[in-house]
Amino acid sequence: MTEWQRKTPLEWQKYVTKEVNVTAAEKHDYKGWVLTVDPVSANIVLVTFLEDGKVSVLVVLGHAVQEVGIVKEADDEMREKLALLFMPGESQSHGQEELEKRKSSLKTWLETNHIPVTEQGELQRTLCVAGMLTIDPPYGPEDCSSFNEIILSRVQGLIQGHFAAQL
Amino acid sequence: MRLGVQEPTMNVPVSVIRLPHGPDGTSRGFDPTSPRFQALGPATLSSSVPGNAVQLEQEQQGRVVMRERYLRSLSAMAGHPVRFTMYEKVNVTALFEASDIDILNFHVSELQTPLGVQRDALLRCSDIISYTFEL
Repeated sequence: MTEWQRKTPLEWQKYVTKEVNVTAAEKHDYKGWVLTVDPVSANIVLVTFLEDGKVSVLVVLGHAVQEVGIVKEADDEMREKLALLFMPGESQSHGQEELEKRKSSLKTWLETNHIPVTEQGELQRTLCVAGMLTIDPPYGPEDCSSFNEIILSRVQGLIQGHFAAQL
Repeated sequence: MRLGVQEPTMNVPVSVIRLPHGPDGTSRGFDPTSPRFQALGPATLSSSVPGNAVQLEQEQQGRVVMRERYLRSLSAMAGHPVRFTMYEKVNVTALFEASDIDILNFHVSELQTPLGVQRDALLRCSDIISYTFEL
């Protein structure tokens, strides 16, 4: 267990959205913006935005990390770019009314399929299935989170079916 | 048939008699008393501040955000060619397929090795130093 792997999530978080130099095993050196550190494996995800608009992603495995040095902080633009990377559907905006419609139609659909659904969160925006899975706006298959991959794939399948039925 | 649930053209609602059980001591998951959790070692999952509820909440919040970003980066990588830098100066390219939840093994396909192309392979993450792909 290396020093890097022994760090706590709060310590790893200090590196997120910073530009860093990573020294890894066998004298490998990497540089890039830290998108995230996986709290399970301690893997560091480094992102570089290339000139042709492409994004280069390099991940250093947690066990191979020897040293991480912060080069500089991100400005607002970079912070936003990093936050949106890999995130589903956030860029397309849905009106408040449409979101409400999507939510109630999905809720009805799940209930028709005998799946227990509740609403939770401050604004009741998040749907919660059997206390094990949450669906955030805009309520697509990509917006489901669950620690149980079996339930996740079943409910994602159902939502997919719901959208297919609507088209 | 179980697969029927995922059929997109379903007209008659399918009744789900029971949902699968959540994590417990004998199945997969992050139950702190499970043998799996213990085997992973305390450093990967332990809290820095046992007993302090506010800080624990903060730590969990951070963990959630970082983990989600990592999992999304993995699903963005699926089906893309990825270059793996491994120990002993081994460099290989393959299409990424899947990972297990502890990030211990990667399933890849079309693995280009000096001996030819392997259609499917498992790479042990402990053998990998880094991997890279472009989007």
